[in-house]
Amino acid sequence: MKILKFITSVLLFAAAPAAMAQDAAQPITLEADVKAVVETTAADGTKQVELVEPGTIVPGDRLVFGTNYMNGGTEPFNNFVMTNPLPAPVRLAPDADADLVVSVDGGTTWGRLAELAVANEDGTSRPAEHRDVTHIRWTLAVVETGASGRFEYPAIIR
Amino acid sequence: MNHARLKIGFAFATVIVSGISTPSYAQSVEAGTIIQNTAQATFSSPGGPATVTSNTVELTVDELLDVTLTSLDGGAIAATPGNQTLTFELTNTGNGPEAYSLTANPAVAGNDFDVTIDSIAIDTNNNGVFDPGVDEILTGPAITRSLDAGEAITVFVNVVVPSTVADGDQSTIEMTADAVTGTGSPGDVFPGQGEGGVDAVVGSTGATATAAGSLVAGITTVELVKTQSVLDPFGGTSVVPGSIVTYTITANVTGSGSVADFVITDAFPAGTTYSTGTITLRGASLTDAAGDDAGEADATGIAVDLGTVAAPSSQSVAFKVVVE
Repeated sequence: MKILKFITSVLLFAAAPAAMAQDAAQPITLEADVKAVVETTAADGTKQVELVEPGTIVPGDRLVFGTNYMNGGTEPFNNFVMTNPLPAPVRLAPDADADLVVSVDGGTTWGRLAELAVANEDGTSRPAEHRDVTHIRWTLAVVETGASGRFEYPAIIR
Repeated sequence: MNHARLKIGFAFATVIVSGISTPSYAQSVEAGTIIQNTAQATFSSPGGPATVTSNTVELTVDELLDVTLTSLDGGAIAATPGNQTLTFELTNTGNGPEAYSLTANPAVAGNDFDVTIDSIAIDTNNNGVFDPGVDEILTGPAITRSLDAGEAITVFVNVVVPSTVADGDQSTIEMTADAVTGTGSPGDVFPGQGEGGVDAVVGSTGATATAAGSLVAGITTVELVKTQSVLDPFGGTSVVPGSIVTYTITANVTGSGSVADFVITDAFPAGTTYSTGTITLRGASLTDAAGDDAGEADATGIAVDLGTVAAPSSQSVAFKVVVE
């Protein structure tokens, strides 16, 4: 299984402990966030993309949903599978990583988007599209003690 | 917004708060919709499979202010002096309820004549035709009711065409619809002024739309020319008892448009007797009886009913009398 969007950089957990999803029983923690994607055009015409705290958001705007995970426990954990249902008001952005493992049927079947199909009402099927994605899943064989990382996906407000 | 504990143990589908269905009347997510994102992970632990859920991040979709306006007339309306109605369609292409302020500008550069704006009305009964007394007249300022996202209404602009227009004169009326919340450059924000207190954001249309309706004056002029020719019993043209006089009435309809219920009548001159069965229209014979064709004759004169005659055209009616 390919590991996607796996960022091993040091995360800022210590800076925002109150916002974390602490669970005394769980040594692994997940910290979700969302950023708005703002494209600015400089005077010389070059375009820059920035991730900012979402301010005003309207249909068509681009968001990046991310989840940081960390193993704060004392032992490694195996078979780590993180699942993120897409909120209904957004669709997966067309430029999302083509190797993301996704579901277009509410989490029943999984695969790369290009391998999936959506049933039409007349019984035929068509290739799945980004707008059909209902869930995204990331898998890690093992999360070592103290390991942390981040998964994220780009979305567009419908 | 730490919902982590609430979510633990639930299937992940429970965090889809808005349902799968898209809003019924718009492609866009409605203003005020809450977007919630929660991730969940499973892993193997010494005590068996374990599950952990992230906090839920939450965003509220703001209101996009957009509008389109289109003329429904399909080209210039043929108009005569007096009342005319122009028809437009106004659509709220934003994602929240919005009212629009309407203005009609009759003085557009290049106009041959300017109309007077009588009123702006909404097609209350949705039949596409202005119905006086039924359709709601917007009294100044002309502001529509609040339209739902994606909702379209038909707007009428009632105008008065001046009596001084000449055939073929044209006039354009420019209609503008502005979002009541505000207009501006795309991306301008009106904090807190959207539906339910969200921000309102000017969309790609600038929250304003204009559309032009136009009129072309169709003035129809009818000119009647009556001529006579005489044939006397001797093959000459003297008017003597027994001479046959053929009267020809030529109706020239000029300009544009048409005339309706156009009937040509002529009385027999004193001292003559109608020569029965001699009415012709464009050279073709008509009967004297009423009702069977366009022509009829009675004791006093003839009548030919031409119905609606479009300009330009020329119609000629003829009949004969005998000098007593």
